[in-house]
Amino acid sequence: MTYRIVSPRIGTPGDKFEPEAGVNVEALLLHGFIVEDKAPPKSAKTITNNPKD
Amino acid sequence: MATSTYLSNPGVQINSISMTDQCTSATVTNTAEALESTAFGGTSRVFVSGLFNQEITLDLYMSYAASETYATLAALVGTTTTVKVSNTVAGLTTPSATEPCFTLTGAYLEALPVINATMGELSTISITFKGGVLTTAVS
Repeated sequence: MTYRIVSPRIGTPGDKFEPEAGVNVEALLLHGFIVEDKAPPKSAKTITNNPKD
Repeated sequence: MATSTYLSNPGVQINSISMTDQCTSATVTNTAEALESTAFGGTSRVFVSGLFNQEITLDLYMSYAASETYATLAALVGTTTTVKVSNTVAGLTTPSATEPCFTLTGAYLEALPVINATMGELSTISITFKGGVLTTAVS
């Protein structure tokens, strides 16, 4: 799981957030200091229906 | 002559969040509990070191605005976190011998005064982080 900074109190907004040992990440997420980095959605697979003879 | 006068320099970070601009007092105490080992024949009390018992006490202005004091601390009650204090803001990120950074990892926040209101005064709170492991970075 990776995180991105939202609040300037933590660092530069938009930068990747790497929690140090012991940091309570859930508390940071709860109050919007950081957000989870969403993985880009996978592209849809196109299923071709070519019945072979 | 050894004196330290603090005007606006000390840096405070709670759970990775900078609280320097809300903090008015910070005390980091490194305690090694004293276990008495005085025995018969002794004429003075003698102690040996027991467990270490660390504490950081902070006085903060209370603010309920986004990303401020309440938002920083509310979810930490009853949990452990990491608290950093240095005699300068720069010491938090680039500590040195003259700007040591004291880090309490696994610090437990037992209580948070959620309201401390007095007419005509800025609201302040005092909190204490207990336990954990204290490390001192000087480089």
